Amino acid sequence: MKTKTSEQTPDLSRRDFVKASAALGAATWASGASRMFAAGSDKIRVGLIGCGGRGTYDTTNCLNAAQNVELAAMGDLFDDRLDRCRKQLAKELGQKVKVTDETCFTGWDAHKKVLACDVDLVILTEPPHFRPAHLRAAVEAGKHVFMEKPAAVDPVGVRSVIESSQMAEQKKLTIVAGTQSRRLAHLIEGMKRIRNGDIGQIVGGLCVRIGDGMLTWSQETKVRQPGWSDMEWQLRRWLFMTWLSGDFITEMHIHNLDKMNWAMDAHPVQCVGLGGRQVRTGPEYGDAYDHFAVEYEYPDGVRIEYMGAQMDKVTTRQDAQVVGTKGRVYMDSGNFVIEGDKPFKYDGPSPSPVIQQHADQIAAIRGGERLNEGKRVAESTLTCIMGRMSAYTGRAMKWDWAMNASKLDLSPSKYEFGDLPPRPVAMPGQTPLI
Amino acid sequence: MDKHKEQRGRDFSRRDFVKAAAVASFAGASARLTSKLYAAGSDVLKVGLIGCGGRGTGAATQALMGVDKSVRLWAMADLFRNQLDASYDMLSKGAKGRYDRVDFDSLADQMDVPEQRRFVGFDAYQKLLASGVDTVILATPPHFRPEHFEAAVKAGKHVFMEKPVAVDPAGVKRIIATAQVAKQKGLSVVAGTQRRHQLHYIEVIKRIHDGAIGEILAAQCYWNNGGPWCLTAEKPAGVSDMEWQCRNWYWFCWLCGDHIVEQHVHNIDIMNWALGSHPVQCMGMGGRQARVGGNIWDHFAIEFEYPGGVRVLSMCRQIPGCSDRVSERIVGTKGFAYIDGATGFIKGENAYEGPASPNPYVQEHVDLIRSIRQGVALNEGIQVAESTMAAIIGRMSAYTGRALKWDWAMNASKLDLSPAKYAFGDLPVAPVPIPGKTPLI
Repeated sequence: MKTKTSEQTPDLSRRDFVKASAALGAATWASGASRMFAAGSDKIRVGLIGCGGRGTYDTTNCLNAAQNVELAAMGDLFDDRLDRCRKQLAKELGQKVKVTDETCFTGWDAHKKVLACDVDLVILTEPPHFRPAHLRAAVEAGKHVFMEKPAAVDPVGVRSVIESSQMAEQKKLTIVAGTQSRRLAHLIEGMKRIRNGDIGQIVGGLCVRIGDGMLTWSQETKVRQPGWSDMEWQLRRWLFMTWLSGDFITEMHIHNLDKMNWAMDAHPVQCVGLGGRQVRTGPEYGDAYDHFAVEYEYPDGVRIEYMGAQMDKVTTRQDAQVVGTKGRVYMDSGNFVIEGDKPFKYDGPSPSPVIQQHADQIAAIRGGERLNEGKRVAESTLTCIMGRMSAYTGRAMKWDWAMNASKLDLSPSKYEFGDLPPRPVAMPGQTPLI
Repeated sequence: MDKHKEQRGRDFSRRDFVKAAAVASFAGASARLTSKLYAAGSDVLKVGLIGCGGRGTGAATQALMGVDKSVRLWAMADLFRNQLDASYDMLSKGAKGRYDRVDFDSLADQMDVPEQRRFVGFDAYQKLLASGVDTVILATPPHFRPEHFEAAVKAGKHVFMEKPVAVDPAGVKRIIATAQVAKQKGLSVVAGTQRRHQLHYIEVIKRIHDGAIGEILAAQCYWNNGGPWCLTAEKPAGVSDMEWQCRNWYWFCWLCGDHIVEQHVHNIDIMNWALGSHPVQCMGMGGRQARVGGNIWDHFAIEFEYPGGVRVLSMCRQIPGCSDRVSERIVGTKGFAYIDGATGFIKGENAYEGPASPNPYVQEHVDLIRSIRQGVALNEGIQVAESTMAAIIGRMSAYTGRALKWDWAMNASKLDLSPAKYAFGDLPVAPVPIPGKTPLI
């Protein structure tokens, strides 16, 4: 059992043991730091913050990703969500679930209470709005963090996440993000070839994701229940409330836009977007749009065309292309194909990355290794947010402005169950750029 | 691997016509016109204006002023008397310029339009075609173009027709058939896709075709800006649905084609021109976020796929207060080209700066009139039909949310937006399309 406050560098024999048992072989960090070091099979105690479907899923995967990982604490705003999750996890994970009534917390400061427990690693699966604040609290509390994507819903949140990531770096805490495509074997292999120049100079590309209108998401909350305050209803319908989810371009399509940043090895420089809500127009869909088209301009003027929609009974599609002077890449969830001077088709296995992401983190924690995806996921998040802002306002956007000058902060004036007038649907040409 | 050789081969004769027409003088002709060029015994070229709105009036000034005073306005036709009168008034008094025409003084000395050659109503075009004109300007709302073009060619007239040339696949097919008849008859047909007559466009695209940017890998085209005139409030009592919609034609898809067809066709036309082909298939999205009134949308984004798998982005928006962009960009293995209304250049291995261009709104009429006078038929009918069709399939894809193939749209689509009858009466407005619900026809 590791000590809580040790400032000592692990001694040589323990480090050898760690190296031998860690799955990854990366060099250990130099000294200093605290309890982040864990011996190869030292118990990892996990705290879950955000007990929805994703929280249940990620916790299950995390506890199954390695030996000797257990769930020690849970937190959620709502009793019913926590209870349902706790039952589900007990069913899935049996003895690995070590929470007690005393380590299950609900309400607005549930996350703080989880962080005050004896946990090493927290899983952040709350609605994205809260991610920056929870990440900050977790890093301040000295915890490793697995955080779902996206990292934030507005530029103010993105900056906070970048700052928290730097703090985590200082404190030798690991941060892994739920941008799981980064661990897909066919993409890892394929992207290497792009970097290697196999398609020559990149001159264009596209990224399309169209499908599933999400109309049955959280069916039970579609009709507002008597007794639910504005705040409660919006929280329960968080997916469709831009202040909570960032809209679907951020909440879901970050997977796809993150891949483009990966392929380009850069974030965009500027963008021009349009969009609206043509099908999902009822109040149960908050202020979310149902379609976006954003042209992202990368360094050297390369334009990547993104089109995304959440609609039913339309032609569905999810793929991306990168076009170069010597070839063209086609990729989707299972394929990576290069046509041109250096053809390539990945035909190996591409095992699900959802276990791997946790395995990598646990190994890094145990091996005292550096693993910090915070800045990268923050940049991918801002990529999405700026596309959204451009579509919402109808204004072209520069990255530098969004990252450094935008004051957009979607936080409500207070966090309490009460009145909260729904945000008006954005109107291009009228909604101000903040 | 030169994917474009085949396409350029197909494009060759078209490019020749344009080149010939754009140059100040050309030696005349391989083709002999078989039909009568002018009114017997006179050098006067008699022009009939069908559709006396803002664009039609502008086109008339350009036809009258472009070459010389032998061009005469001979007859006018419009659905509405007050439109015709306002146009006649403006032409005979002069007016200040706007985006598509320069300031001009009275053109009365080139106008010979007595009351008996002013025609009003749904069949005004027929009467105008029988009134002794040599050439017509078709500038009505796009819906009527196929019918008017067909009648004009049947009557043996040369044609200047505004874009777009149709609002649905049924209309496009009629245009194509008529264009072929025009070709057989040796009639000249010039379309209002004026960039085809704009020198810096011609020069940049010529160089693209000659390989200046290598093999084309991607392209983008945009028309994002505030949009045209506004729908006048509510339909007044006593005005029929049909009249209301015709007077506010832009706002109703059956009359206008929606802005992707009505306006963005200009940029989609450049894509077809540069790539040497119409698209093979497309997938689109869009909606109506800010617009109030009528049933058209206010933004679209379409992915067009061209031969060789080249993907082209088309983006258009008509919402005031947003960022503007009206331009095209074509990217190749050796560089890229950028063109807009004012400038055109190529960067990369074969850098090039395009020239300043004469006014293309004038040039298109100059080219038409010269082709008539010099007996070299200039026929843009198929080309503008294909550009119009590309815009239409983009619209249909976006409206329904369904990916569409060109071949299906051209051969199997039954979409025809014509009203049951052309009469001033009731005409319910078609609902605003909703992707996933609006059926694909």
